[in-house]
Amino acid sequence: MAQAVLTAITPETLSNSSNARSRRAVDRFATAMLWLAAGAVVGMLVLLIVYLFVKGASAISWNFLVGFPSAANAGGGVGPEIFNSFYILFLTLFFTVPVAVCAGMYLQEYAGPGRFRDLIQFSAESLATVPSIVMGLFGLLIFVQTFHWHFTALGGALTLTLLNLPAMMRVTQEALAGVPGTYREASMGLGATKWQTVVKAILPSAIGPLTTGVVLVSGRIFGETAALIYTAGASVSYGKSAYDLNPFHTAETLAVHIYSIHREGLVPDADAIANGSSLVLLVMVLAFNAVARILGRALTLRLTGKA
Amino acid sequence: MIQTPDATSLSDKMNVADLDVFYGTFQAIKKGNLRVPDRRVMALIGPSGCGKSTFLRALNRMHDLTPGARVEGKVTLDGTDIYAPTIDPVTVRHRIGMVFQRPNPFPKSIYENVVYGPKIHGEKKAKRLLEIAEKSLRAAALWDEVKDRLNRSALELSGGQQQRLCIARVLAVEPEVILMDEPASALDPIATSKIEDLIGVLKKQYTVVIVTHSMQQAARISDFTTFFLLGELIEVGTTSDIFTRPKDKRTEDYITGRYG
Repeated sequence: MAQAVLTAITPETLSNSSNARSRRAVDRFATAMLWLAAGAVVGMLVLLIVYLFVKGASAISWNFLVGFPSAANAGGGVGPEIFNSFYILFLTLFFTVPVAVCAGMYLQEYAGPGRFRDLIQFSAESLATVPSIVMGLFGLLIFVQTFHWHFTALGGALTLTLLNLPAMMRVTQEALAGVPGTYREASMGLGATKWQTVVKAILPSAIGPLTTGVVLVSGRIFGETAALIYTAGASVSYGKSAYDLNPFHTAETLAVHIYSIHREGLVPDADAIANGSSLVLLVMVLAFNAVARILGRALTLRLTGKA
Repeated sequence: MIQTPDATSLSDKMNVADLDVFYGTFQAIKKGNLRVPDRRVMALIGPSGCGKSTFLRALNRMHDLTPGARVEGKVTLDGTDIYAPTIDPVTVRHRIGMVFQRPNPFPKSIYENVVYGPKIHGEKKAKRLLEIAEKSLRAAALWDEVKDRLNRSALELSGGQQQRLCIARVLAVEPEVILMDEPASALDPIATSKIEDLIGVLKKQYTVVIVTHSMQQAARISDFTTFFLLGELIEVGTTSDIFTRPKDKRTEDYITGRYG
């Protein structure tokens, strides 16, 4: 009897009990599944990049990157479209970031709980769920028809501003909520006003997450089509230069071009242009992300003295 | 009933009369009365949750920042009620500085931390700011350790250094009263003794009110001690009286270790 009890509790018998064995098996299985799911994400991205390179690389040439699109002949470029993508991005960020950051700041730092805050939150969430094509039609009604602007870069940017305000506002709220309350106490304890505290103590500490927010929103702006087709238009302005800074001119972006060249293009090399454009767009988005993150890190270092 | 014992010989810097502090419906401080003598160290002691930190934060209107907190009664600084409607809480906190339990430097450089206060109060000249930084860091006994790396991040400093930096940051705005909320509770014994030595020097120029959970610390550094229990100020006296001849049975129980 005593002998049996002793053998029962040796490490070996413990680890080989059927219960321990089955638990280990489940554990291994779960780990494998999670790894597979995470691997699938990376795998799909790699697959996409490789596919776009294979299909699109042959279309890329200097003339393709800087030249005007052609109406009916092969060999047209996407110079104005690349420019317009950046131009509309910067116009949109120019309107979105200040308004969204101020609104997020108000909600997070100033507004006490109450009806007004609930109303803003509810409005923002509703705005965030509006499909982009609906926002595009709204832009068409307001900027194109009511204001008689016709298709313009400005109209497109303002439509995208409406589309992205809620997301950027949310990001701002989260970024500010992530700043430790001890910074607020320290600043107020030194006799700073609320505004000084927010601007000098809290905002600098939130630059990192804010940059991430800008990057995410920018990716959406680069890729947006539905909201732009009827506001910024599906054609470029044929001026002297491919780079038209007039915000009241029509401004087709690269993403819209990929859509429109398939849908209504008369050129014989539409497929090649679409593939090449997709590759360019992907590289643009990745490069923009990288640059924004480097700038964000540099800004954080400068503001927080972590050098 | 509660009085500072040798009140006759010392002038009051602050005076608290019938102070009540509520968090929602919970009353954290009940009818607190206290006279804080000028340029002395007043220690607030008592078991956890007795309201000593709550009381301290009422002295420079920090409760204004806490949603749901409500303060009633009168707190005067040099005879002026700091809760009067005409008083700006920002000026109150300029004159009454605060050092917190955990060192809370900003994620900025050492220099930027010290000059944060002077800058927000309008000082712009770089030369003057540097003077203030040196003076404050010297007063906080930190200058020699950081003078060669003022532009490094404050977060690279040790906990004890960070706390002295926070004290320097408060000194830089030239307050009259410094409130300290268990300033050494997160520090090791060596850093603690440096903070304690510093408090001994500071009282020559400033009025210090310090919350501490360590009775030994209160005994070492304070001139006067107030004992709190369940939101009430039980007894106030010179530190030596409180620790050797407490008048109240509850004070005696606490300091002899029979309570909490």
